[in-house]
Amino acid sequence: MSTHIDSLSSNEGLSTALKIKIVGVGGAGSNAVNGLKLDDLGDVRIAAINTDAQALANSAISEKLLIGRSVTRGLGAGGEVEIGRAAAEADREAIAALIGDMDLIILVAGFGGGTGSAAASIVAEVAAKTDALVLAFVTLPFSFEGARRKRIATEGVGELRKVVHGLIPLPNDVLLQEGEEDTSVLNAFAVADRWIGCGVHSLCAMLLKTGLINQDLGSLRTVFQNPGGKTIFGTGFASGGDYVKDALDDLLLCPLFHMGDRPAQLDRILVNVIGGADLGIAKVNEVMALVSKRFDSREDIVFGAVIDESRNDSLEICVLGKAEMERKASANEAQAAQARAPSPSHQLEELGLSSEIAQDDSPERTVHKSKLRKKKMRSDDQDEFTFTEVEAQRGYFHKTDRNEYKDEDLDVPTYLRRGIKIKIKIKA
Amino acid sequence: MSQSRVVGAVEIGTSKVTVILGEIIGDSGLNIIGHSSCFSKGIKKGVITDLKDASDCVHAAILTAEKNANTRIDEVYLAQTGSHLQGNFNVGTTTVGSSDSVVRAADIEQAKEDAKRRKLRDSRTYIHHIQNPFSMDGQQVDHPLSKTGARLQVGYWSVHGDSQTVCDSLRVIGGIDLAVSDMIISSIASGAVLLEESEKGNGALVVDIGGGTTDFVLYRKGYIVLTGVVPVGGDHITNDLSIGLRMGRKGAEEIKRKNGRAYYKTEDREEKVWLFGDLTIGDREYPLAAITQIIEARVSEIFDIIKEQLVEAKLYVPEDIASGVVLTGGTSRLVGIDEVASRSLGLAARQSEGPQDVAAALRVPEYSTALGLLHYALTGQEDTQQPSKPVGILGRLSRILNL
Repeated sequence: MSTHIDSLSSNEGLSTALKIKIVGVGGAGSNAVNGLKLDDLGDVRIAAINTDAQALANSAISEKLLIGRSVTRGLGAGGEVEIGRAAAEADREAIAALIGDMDLIILVAGFGGGTGSAAASIVAEVAAKTDALVLAFVTLPFSFEGARRKRIATEGVGELRKVVHGLIPLPNDVLLQEGEEDTSVLNAFAVADRWIGCGVHSLCAMLLKTGLINQDLGSLRTVFQNPGGKTIFGTGFASGGDYVKDALDDLLLCPLFHMGDRPAQLDRILVNVIGGADLGIAKVNEVMALVSKRFDSREDIVFGAVIDESRNDSLEICVLGKAEMERKASANEAQAAQARAPSPSHQLEELGLSSEIAQDDSPERTVHKSKLRKKKMRSDDQDEFTFTEVEAQRGYFHKTDRNEYKDEDLDVPTYLRRGIKIKIKIKA
Repeated sequence: MSQSRVVGAVEIGTSKVTVILGEIIGDSGLNIIGHSSCFSKGIKKGVITDLKDASDCVHAAILTAEKNANTRIDEVYLAQTGSHLQGNFNVGTTTVGSSDSVVRAADIEQAKEDAKRRKLRDSRTYIHHIQNPFSMDGQQVDHPLSKTGARLQVGYWSVHGDSQTVCDSLRVIGGIDLAVSDMIISSIASGAVLLEESEKGNGALVVDIGGGTTDFVLYRKGYIVLTGVVPVGGDHITNDLSIGLRMGRKGAEEIKRKNGRAYYKTEDREEKVWLFGDLTIGDREYPLAAITQIIEARVSEIFDIIKEQLVEAKLYVPEDIASGVVLTGGTSRLVGIDEVASRSLGLAARQSEGPQDVAAALRVPEYSTALGLLHYALTGQEDTQQPSKPVGILGRLSRILNL
């Protein structure tokens, strides 16, 4: 609760308002940032970084940075990660200047192409060297975009996850499920942008707007203490009628919570609600009680409630959760080692046994931490790459060998890979 | 009496462990004297993921069957499945040795040996060498002995698996002090009891869709020409439903059994389904369309993959699969699955009614693999179609295991 003291002291000089910058990296990221509607939030700065001069020129964003002119002559990365990386490496100083001195940096990128996938982690690295809290919203390519883009995205996520405080993955396959019945692919990209917009807006509103329960950067920092780990994000919205119940239902049905992740494993979560003036403390309490019951976090839940006069008769709930990776990663690793291990059979028993320990005894985290650390050290990189978003979509099968068939993971639901839209809500 | 032995046919499946006890009398008599099945633990996609859990449930199933039959098992026939199983087709060639160009037994042996000599990587173990027809100077001959010709060839469909994975299953059985006499891959076992000889002759595809894997075997002109495992089964349907409908696995499993259909109809859009149907808190309504669309995507993909594998092996010849597709395994109970199989594979398809010569309780799709194992225990080496065992395979694996 030391955070309240922080917020008091920062209120002393009103000129030192919270400095937030949202940075779109690459084509998709810049587009998404361009479409953000944050007018009601006052001073949130927006910037775009790209290798494609023409795309930047056409963008309405005021703060733009063309990177890698020496590498690409401003013609874009052409889907090549190496070019994207070289471009960002070449302009580290310019990136640092653009990042400047911020309290919160939100990166937005679409993974699978050349610029976003590679440059995002370099931008994040630069940002992480400042005191800023760095979060990233990243869209992941549709399955039908092919194995190459998927691989690029997976590797990009692995790299980015190490340097940001929170990485929020948005698999397009999953987002498509939320579009209208006849969502075309182009519309689907718009759906992704809407999700990013919703997440970014909710975060900023929570920090900048006054409300029933104020949250500040300090509370956000307690949720995202360390870089790495896994972040869960989801929203629910409803208006009219019994909007509290409907928004909760909508939240629980948010597809981002249903990719096989188990919210029970979250270490810390942050819940923010935005409602109109009619949102009394009683209703807020009702929401809080239900959400904390559903997202049972081991340590603590941070709540925020924002009042927006223009939003009477509606409720938006945004949940951000963070799970440290160690436990899961070590179980994965033991499993992977088991799959790789050659014949000596006692070895298997040993590994089988130790993976059991890692899973079952997890509540006593401190006791086993040393053990897990040891394991983690053995193949640190491996963990980062094996535990990906695709992994999350495998759900029940996440501890078994990959089920690769012709560049597809058969454990991931077919309807998601094929882009078949499933409508589960019944309209009254 | 010393002629009789009790064989335990054991299938360690992803959702169930199935055991059937058969008493084999002399060379030809088989009495089924007990059976049991219990829910699996520690097994996913046909492969043991937790040795202790798997051992516990397999041991429980074996002990229950022994208790039911009031006897002890002498030897175990064990089914094998999982994506680690692979096969390749090898052709052995020999030049007929004698001056009169008449094929001697030694020539046949040599051709066979030639086909089986292909070495595997250290981590792999042959499980079956399945003989295909002989050919003499390019012409198929069924019985080459004493025929004349210059060049004798024989094909073999050889199935091999990951040694470690195979060992794990042997360890489980070894854990209660039982010896595995033979291992048969699930698809071959099911095929053996579900098809009539005439159907094997006309050509047929048997698809055994279980909880975690789909095993298939293709018969062409009476020979097993292709086997395969798609590591996808009923568990995947449940998982897809659980993700798609945003509900727990239990609810998804229930909805699959209660309301599942393998294909989607436009009318499903209008129809609503309650999750529990008991008016309790948490009960929700779903459009049936959501359920059937999710299932259809998954089920048709399974058959699409099988078709692709047939096509890649150049064995997708509908007139050579005249007896069509026979579906078995627990997931074959899914309503409409024959229709989807037929659509995807472009072949007539039906749900198996089980072998007619066993008790009704055993005629269910869940038991076909174990019955097939007993079939092999009975016919043994006499059957020319018996997949022959690489010499000493069990001994070699046992040594690895230090059993």
